[in-house]
Amino acid sequence: LPTAHLWVKNCRELLQSSYNKDRLDQPLQASAWLKNFKISNERFLREIKTQKKYMWGKRESTEEGRPLGEVVDQGLARVRSASDAVGVVLKELKQQSQQGSFRLLVAVDGVNALWGRTTLRKEDKSPVSPEELTLVHNLRKMMRNDWTGGAVVTTLSQTGSLFKPSSAYLPQELLGKEGFDALDPFVPILVPNYSPREFESCYGYYLERRWLQHEKARTEDGKAELQFLSGSNPRQLDRLAGPL
Amino acid sequence: STSLSRHAVCPRLQPPFSCPSRLMQVRWSRYSPSFLEPEVNKEFYQKPLEELTEEEREQRELKAVRPIKAAPPTLSSSVFRDPMISKFTNMMMKDGNKVLARSLMTQTLEAIKRKQLEKYHKAPENEKETIECNPYVIFHQALKNCQPIIGLSNITKGGKTYQVPVPLKDNRKRFLAMKWMITECRENKHRRTLMPEKLSQELLLAFNNEGPIIKKKHVLHKMAEANRAYAHFRWW
Repeated sequence: LPTAHLWVKNCRELLQSSYNKDRLDQPLQASAWLKNFKISNERFLREIKTQKKYMWGKRESTEEGRPLGEVVDQGLARVRSASDAVGVVLKELKQQSQQGSFRLLVAVDGVNALWGRTTLRKEDKSPVSPEELTLVHNLRKMMRNDWTGGAVVTTLSQTGSLFKPSSAYLPQELLGKEGFDALDPFVPILVPNYSPREFESCYGYYLERRWLQHEKARTEDGKAELQFLSGSNPRQLDRLAGPL
Repeated sequence: STSLSRHAVCPRLQPPFSCPSRLMQVRWSRYSPSFLEPEVNKEFYQKPLEELTEEEREQRELKAVRPIKAAPPTLSSSVFRDPMISKFTNMMMKDGNKVLARSLMTQTLEAIKRKQLEKYHKAPENEKETIECNPYVIFHQALKNCQPIIGLSNITKGGKTYQVPVPLKDNRKRFLAMKWMITECRENKHRRTLMPEKLSQELLLAFNNEGPIIKKKHVLHKMAEANRAYAHFRWW
């Protein structure tokens, strides 16, 4: 999930969830996520089978034993039940990764969005807490400690977070007490800037994929200049290499 | 009592010439004439003393003695600097917001690169070499394609103004091409599309000699061709 902050702000459509009366759905974001999920995990979607029967309203249902790809297609076709489809997919993956047939990696960027406040409002102008969003609720279940056979990698970011001061960068401040307790065994990992070897490999990758198109970028001078200007910071290097 | 006159001339400023054969100097410079321009080229200073010619040695000595003008912020010794791109960015700038103009320029170049790379990866093997992916090459070629060859100027003779075809200088051609590009993107597009997107589209069309700017250039050429009869009204 590239940016969790997009799920809690600037949402145009909010539907009331059919599965659970209190919660609200977000069809746009859910369908975007399902599309990306389908493109990146096509191989596995055919192998993994559902273990329960799911009803999407009165006439459509997915039987036991059908491949997960069908659930994803169902969510993409019926935009109204897209968030429920997301929930189903996550639940199935969690159950089945415990059996050990595949490894599951959950990577969420901007995890502090799941426990902060939201800028969304209901129709009677009362604010929505993140619990009431189906997508957030399902994602929180994935973050909990109760499944094996995979790993969860998250990052916190201040840039998209709501209602937090811009000087807050420590995990405890950004997550809040609730979030910090929920992510129980918290293992902070330090990611330093590129070492010279990493920089060279990144530069070589850009050249090979034809991302660096400028003629001068292929010379020694260009490489030294890129290293100096970016300070071996991956994000700055990415920004610099964009127009070049 | 001493009174300071408002028209006192500062001794460092150069007064304008009033010779009839020379044009009057309109742009004044606060620097005195002893100030030299800053030199950006790294290779100039890296050459050892033996390789220099007489003039270059004199220049070096001058630089050690004379004061040098302050370099403007757009002048840099980076290998990636392109004077045409800086000119274009300056023309796109509104209310002095160079940050925004520069970010729009970088986003445009990136958008062009992405579109071309997408086409490149989808194309079959034999067509791959014909697709140009370098955004700078596309930019320069597109602007070159948009430059008009002759322009029209208004000349009044005998009470009537005629549109006379006139050769344009290089600077004027470049300026016209960039101006048309920017006005086209600002005005004729849908309100919600972003500037980098519009610009990249227009640049790609101009690179292939299609698009509304090339049409404008052709219209100008046709008008000049139609007014060929008045070409002898020009006296310069």
